[in-house]
Amino acid sequence: MIRTGILGIDEMLGSGIPKGSRVIFSLEPGVDGRPFIFRILRTVLSGGKNVLVIAPQATEKAFLSDFSRMMDASPGMGPGKMVILDSSVRERINTRLKGSRSRWKEWQKIIRETIGESGIEVLFVYFDLLYEDFGLEPALQLLPSGEEYRSLTTIVEHLNLEGDSLISGFASGGYFDLIISVHSNISSVPFFNFFTLEYVSWSRMPRRSVPYTVTDGTIRLYIPKIIVTGPPSSGKSTFVANASDSGLSVDRGDIDGFKTTVAMDLGWLHLRGFDITLFGTPGQPRFDPIIPQIIRNAMGIIMVIDATRPETLPRARELLTLAYSARIPVVVAVNKADLPHTMDERQVRQSLKLREAIPVLFISSLRRSDVHSVLESMIDHITRYSP
Amino acid sequence: MYIYRTGIRLIDEKKGGLSPGSNILILAPSMSSGERLGYSVARPAPGEYALILSTVMRAVDLLDFFSESRIDPSRIGIIDAVSKLSTPDISDSTQVRYVSSPSDLTGIGIKFSSMVESIFNGEFADSGDALFPPPVRFYIDSLTTLLMYRRLEVIYQFLHVVTAKLKKMDAIGIYALNNESFDEKTLSLIKQLMNVVIEIKNEQHGDFLRVRGLPGVTQEWVHFQITGEGLEVVI
Repeated sequence: MIRTGILGIDEMLGSGIPKGSRVIFSLEPGVDGRPFIFRILRTVLSGGKNVLVIAPQATEKAFLSDFSRMMDASPGMGPGKMVILDSSVRERINTRLKGSRSRWKEWQKIIRETIGESGIEVLFVYFDLLYEDFGLEPALQLLPSGEEYRSLTTIVEHLNLEGDSLISGFASGGYFDLIISVHSNISSVPFFNFFTLEYVSWSRMPRRSVPYTVTDGTIRLYIPKIIVTGPPSSGKSTFVANASDSGLSVDRGDIDGFKTTVAMDLGWLHLRGFDITLFGTPGQPRFDPIIPQIIRNAMGIIMVIDATRPETLPRARELLTLAYSARIPVVVAVNKADLPHTMDERQVRQSLKLREAIPVLFISSLRRSDVHSVLESMIDHITRYSP
Repeated sequence: MYIYRTGIRLIDEKKGGLSPGSNILILAPSMSSGERLGYSVARPAPGEYALILSTVMRAVDLLDFFSESRIDPSRIGIIDAVSKLSTPDISDSTQVRYVSSPSDLTGIGIKFSSMVESIFNGEFADSGDALFPPPVRFYIDSLTTLLMYRRLEVIYQFLHVVTAKLKKMDAIGIYALNNESFDEKTLSLIKQLMNVVIEIKNEQHGDFLRVRGLPGVTQEWVHFQITGEGLEVVI
C-alpha cells in the first residue's frame, strides 16, 4: 500500500492506496490541491520511493519552492529521489516538433525512459496542459498503464472546468482506481472545503463527502457535528465529557435534586485523523421542539440508553423517531453495562425497532476506551457505509 | 442592492453604476488606453476592495503605477502571474500572491480564492467604512495573455466559472482584451459571458469609447481621457 500521509483518507481507504493504482484528484476551480498532492509526495519520498513529477505548468524551481514552503521540507530530505519534467520540457518539445502526434510520441518516450532509468515507483502528473495539448484520451494514454509497469502508482491532479460529467466519464471509463473530487464553496459565507470519494475500485465504498481544513499545509478532516442523545439520566453528559479532549456542559439541578442538561453539552476531540465536535442534547421531553434544530446538518447520531432502566426505552424510541427524519447514521450505546442489568441486544433492537445495520454496543461511559469504541463505530458509519 | 460606480459619467449618470454580478469587457487596440481604463474602473470606492490578476506587469511595477497615479493600494490585492517566471522563490504576502505563469489556471483559481478569503477575514486594511459582504472588483489584465497561453475553449470555461463565482460574491468583473489580436469568433465567444462591452478606438485626436449592453446609455463614440492622478475618466 502507498500511504497518502493524510490520516483520515488513509483510514477511509483501508490504510492507503494499493500499489499500481491510478488516482485522480479532480479540483473544482479555486480549490488548492497542493496540500493533497504535496502531502502524498512528501510521504512517498520519506518512505524511500523514487518519484517522477510531470509539471508542465511550472518551472522546476517554482515547483520546488512551492513544495518546500508548503511542506516545510526540502525534497531531498527523504531517501526517495524526485525527478521533475517541468515547463521547459514542454517548451522544448513544442518548439522542436511540429504536429500533435510527434509531440505526443516525444512525451511518451521521455516519460517511459525516465521511469525506467530512475527506477520510478510513483508518478505525479499535473494533467491540465497535457489534456489541452492532446485531448482527453491521448493524454490519458500518456500515463503508463498497469500492464506496462505493474507496481507504478500514478497520482493525477486536474483542474475540472467541465463539472460532474467529466468525473462520471472518468468513473465509467475505468481510467482510475480512485477518484477524489475536491470542492470549495464561495458565497457570503465562503471557504467551506470538502472532498468527495467518487469512486474506489478496490472497495465497495459508497460515494462519501468529508469536510476538511488546512493548517500549516496539513489536511485535517473534520466531522462538524455528531449528536449524542438519549433519555434523561442515561449518561449522555458523561459520554460527551469522557469522549472529549475539551468541552463544556450546561447543567441545572432539577426538582429531584439531580443535575440535568438544559441546553447542550459540547465536546471536541481528535480521533482517527478526524477533528470531531460532539453535541449532547437534553433528554427531557420538554426540550423535544429544539431537537430537530440541533440535529440539523449533523453527520451522525449516538443514542445513549441506560442498561439498568428498560422503562426508558420508549423515550429512546421517541427520540430516535425525531432523529430518523434526518436520515443519518445511528449507533446505539447501551450505557451502565458494568452494573447489574437484564437488558440484552435483542430487547434493545425490538424496542427501538433498529435495522440490522445499526450497531448496538454495551459500554460504560465512565470508561474512555468504551466511549471511543462507540465513536470509532460512528466514524466507520459516516465514512465507509451508507446510513 | 449595492451599486458599483464605474467613474464613467455616461454609465453612472444614466444607471447609477453597475449592479453586482456584472462583467465588463474592455475591447481595446494595442497602444490605446484600454488597460488604464480597466484600472480606472477597478479602483475600489470607499468600503470596497479590488483584486487584480496581472499577466502583463509585475506586482512591484503595478504598485509603482498605483503610487504614481495616487491610488491607495491598501485595499487592492494582486495576483501576479509574471514575477515567478524570473524569480521562482518569491513569497506571497497578504496583498500580493504569485502564480507560476499565466498558463497556471489552477494556481490563479487558488490565489483568487485565498485572496477573497483574506478580504472576508478582514486581513486587508480596514478603512472604517467596511461593508459586508465586502464589495469586490476583480480585474483581469489581460485576457489577451491568457488566450496566448491557453486554448480559447479552456479560457471560456475558466471565465464561465469565474463569472459564476463573482456573481455569488456580489462582485463585478472587468476584463481587458486586445481586439486586434483575435478573430471575430473569439471575441463573440468571450462577449457571451459579458453584460457590458466598452470598445475603445485610438484616433488622431485621442481615444474614444463606446458602451454596449446598457439600455439607455448612448452607443455613440465619445472622446475620453484618463488623468494621470487618480485615473479619473474625463469625457
